[in-house]
Amino acid sequence: MKWTVGTKIAAGFGLTLMIFLIVGGFSYHTTIQLIEVSDARKHTSDVLTQLTGMLSLLTDVENGDRGYVITGEESYLQPYHAALARLDPLRNMTAGNPHQQQRLHVLEPLVKNRVAVASANVDARRTKGVQAASAIIKSGKGKAFMDKIRKVLGTMQSEEEAILQTRVDRAETEAQNAKAIIVLGTLAALVLAAITGLIITRNIAGPLRQLTAVAERITVGDLSGSLPATTRGDEVGALARALERMTQSLRAMAAAAAQIASGDLRSALKPQSPDDIVGNAFARMSDDLRAQIGALAEGANVLGASASEIVASTNQLAASASESAAAVSEATTTVEEVRQTAQVANQKARLVSDSTHKAAQIAQTGRKAADDVVAGMNRIREQMEEIAASMVRLSEQSHAIGQIIATVEDLAAQSNLLAVNASIEAAKAGEHGKGFGVVAQEVKSLAEQSRQATSHVRAILGDIQKATSAAVMATEEGSKAVAAGTGQTEKAGDSIQALAGSVSEAAQAATQIAVSSQQQLVGVDQVGGAMESIKQASTQNVTGAKQLESAARNLNELGQQLRLMVARYQV
Amino acid sequence: MIDESRAASTPDNREILRARARVLARPPQSIPAAETSLEVVEFRLAQECYALETRFVNVVYPLKDLTPLPCTQPFVLGIVNVRGRITPVIDIKKFFDLSDMGLTDLHRIILVRGNGLELGLLADVIVGVRIIPVDSLQASLPTHTGICDNYLKGMTAERLVVLDMDRILADPQILVHEEVEN
Repeated sequence: MKWTVGTKIAAGFGLTLMIFLIVGGFSYHTTIQLIEVSDARKHTSDVLTQLTGMLSLLTDVENGDRGYVITGEESYLQPYHAALARLDPLRNMTAGNPHQQQRLHVLEPLVKNRVAVASANVDARRTKGVQAASAIIKSGKGKAFMDKIRKVLGTMQSEEEAILQTRVDRAETEAQNAKAIIVLGTLAALVLAAITGLIITRNIAGPLRQLTAVAERITVGDLSGSLPATTRGDEVGALARALERMTQSLRAMAAAAAQIASGDLRSALKPQSPDDIVGNAFARMSDDLRAQIGALAEGANVLGASASEIVASTNQLAASASESAAAVSEATTTVEEVRQTAQVANQKARLVSDSTHKAAQIAQTGRKAADDVVAGMNRIREQMEEIAASMVRLSEQSHAIGQIIATVEDLAAQSNLLAVNASIEAAKAGEHGKGFGVVAQEVKSLAEQSRQATSHVRAILGDIQKATSAAVMATEEGSKAVAAGTGQTEKAGDSIQALAGSVSEAAQAATQIAVSSQQQLVGVDQVGGAMESIKQASTQNVTGAKQLESAARNLNELGQQLRLMVARYQV
Repeated sequence: MIDESRAASTPDNREILRARARVLARPPQSIPAAETSLEVVEFRLAQECYALETRFVNVVYPLKDLTPLPCTQPFVLGIVNVRGRITPVIDIKKFFDLSDMGLTDLHRIILVRGNGLELGLLADVIVGVRIIPVDSLQASLPTHTGICDNYLKGMTAERLVVLDMDRILADPQILVHEEVEN
C-alpha cells in the first residue's frame, strides 16, 4: 500500500473519529440512564404528591364534616366525593411496585370507612340534628380511621422516598462515570488529532508551502525560484516535479518572449505537447506576429506616408476652414446688417403706407373742399348777376334822376327867364317897380341856386354814373374772374380727383410694399438664423479641423514612431 | 313846441339868433343915379358876355318852333311866334361877321323894340339885369371882339361888352327887304 497524502490524512482522522464514536456511545448511554432516573424521580414525586393530596383531602373531608355538623351548610360536603376518586390513579402509578400495591389494598377500605363515617355523620346532622352528629364525632371512630390512614400513607411515602434515593444514587455514579469517560475520551481524541495534524503538517504542508511560495513567485512573474529535487512518491512530489517542469517551460517561453521582445522573431518555440495551449498559442503568436509585423512594417510605411499627406491636407483644411469661418462670420454680419436695414425699410414702408392712407383721406377732403369751392363760386356768380342786375336798375334810376334834373334845370331856366323879365318889367315901371325888381332879383337868385343845386346834383349823378359804370365793369370782370375761378376750381377738383385716385393707388402699392417688406423681413430673419447656424457649424468645423490637424500630427508622429519600432524587428 | 318857444326866450338862444341876423344882414346898395349908370340885361353868346340896355328889351323868351326863312340874309335865322306876333330872329355873331367861336346852344331870344322894329336876338344864357356905372365903360380894343365900335357903347373891366342898340336898330343892314323874283 502506497502512503499517499489521502491515506495519511484518512488514517489520522479515522483514529480520532473512532475515539469520538466511543465517547459518543458512552455519552448516549449515560444520557438515557439519566433520563430514566429523572423520569423515575418525577414518578416518585407524583406519587408523593398524590399521597399528600389524599391525606389533605381526607383532612378536608374531616373538616367539611365538622363544618357541616356545626353550621349545616351543604357546601362543606364537596371534598367527600373527590377523596375516593384519588385511589385509582395511585393504583396505576404504583403498578410496578408490589409492596405499594399491598399497602393500597390496606388503604382503600380505610378510606372508604372514613368516608362512610363522615357520610353517616352528615346524614345524622341532616336527619337528627347537631347533637347526634357530634355524638358520632365524639365516638372517635373517624379519628381512629384517620390515624390508620395517616400511618399507611406515611409508610407509603417513606417507601417511595427510599426508592427515589436509590435511583438518584445510581444515576449519580453513572453520571460520574460518563463524565470521566467523556473527558478522557475527548482529551485522547484531541491529542490524537493534534499528533495527526502535526504529522500531516510536517509531511505535507511544509513542502506545499514551499511549492506555494514558488507558485506565488511564478504568479508575480518571478521564474528564478527553483525547487530541490524530490523522490517523494506522493502527490506533493508529483506536484513539485510538475511545477518544476512548468517553471522550465515558462522560462523557455520567457526567453522566447524576451527574444521576440528584443525584436528577434526568427526563433520558433516548440510546444510541449499538442495539448500545450500556451505553447501552441505562443508558436502561433510568434508566427502570426512575424506575419503581422511584416504587414505592420508595410502598413507603418504606408501609414507614415499617408499620415504626412493627411497632415498636409489637414493643415490646408484647417486653414481653409478658418478662412471660410471668417468669411461666414463676415457674411453673418452682413446678413445682420441687411436684416437691420430690412427692418428699417419695413418700418419706413409701414410709415409710408400710413402716410399714404392719410394722404388719401386728405385728398378726399380736398375733393370735397373743391366741390364746396365750386358751389361757392356758383353762389358768387349768382350774386354777381344779382349785383349786375341791381347795377342796371341803378343806372336806369340814375337816368330817371337825370331826366328829373333836366326838368328841374328847365324849370330853373324858365324861372330865371321869368325873373329877368320881371326885373325888366320892374325897370320899365320905374320908381314903382323897384320892390318888384327886388322880388324878381330874389326869384332870380333862387333860380340860380336851384340851377347850382341841379348842377351839383348833376355832378354827383355823373360821379354816381361813373361809379356805377365802374362797378358794372368791375362786376363784369368779377363775373369773368368767377367764371375763370369756377373753371379753375373744376380743373382743381378734377386734378384733386386724379390725385386722390393716384394717392389711393399709391396707398395700395404702399400697403403691398409694407406686406412684401414684412415678408422680406421674415425671410431675412430666416436667412440670418440659417447664417447663424452656418456660422456655428463653421466654428465647429474650425475646431474640428484643428482637432483633426492635431490628431493628424499625432498620427504622423505615431506613424514615424511605428516605423522606428517596426524597424527594430528582424523578421 | 312850447319848450322850443320857451328855449327861444332864453338869453343864449337870443344871442345865437342875433349872431345869425348879423351874418345875414346886407348893407343897402347905393343905387347910382340914372345919369351916371346904365341898367342892362346881361347875356352870354359863344363864351362872350354881352349886355344891352333894358329900355330896349321887351321880354326874354325861350327859343321854340324856329321856322327858317328862305331868301334872307345869313344873320336872319328864321321867324318865331311870340304870343301871336311873328318876330324875326337875328344871330348877332353872323350880323357882326364874327367867326364861329365854339359851340352854342341857342335857346334863348331877347325880344328888342326900337326904331319901329321888333326882333329877337339869339342868346345862349340870359344872365340877368345889372346896373353898370357909365364911367366904368371903356373903349374896347378892336382886336378883342372884332365888332366895330359903331355898335358898341363900351366895355367894362369884367370884359362885358355893352351893345348900342340904337345904332344897331338904326342900321339899314338889318332891314330885310328882298323880293323874290318869280
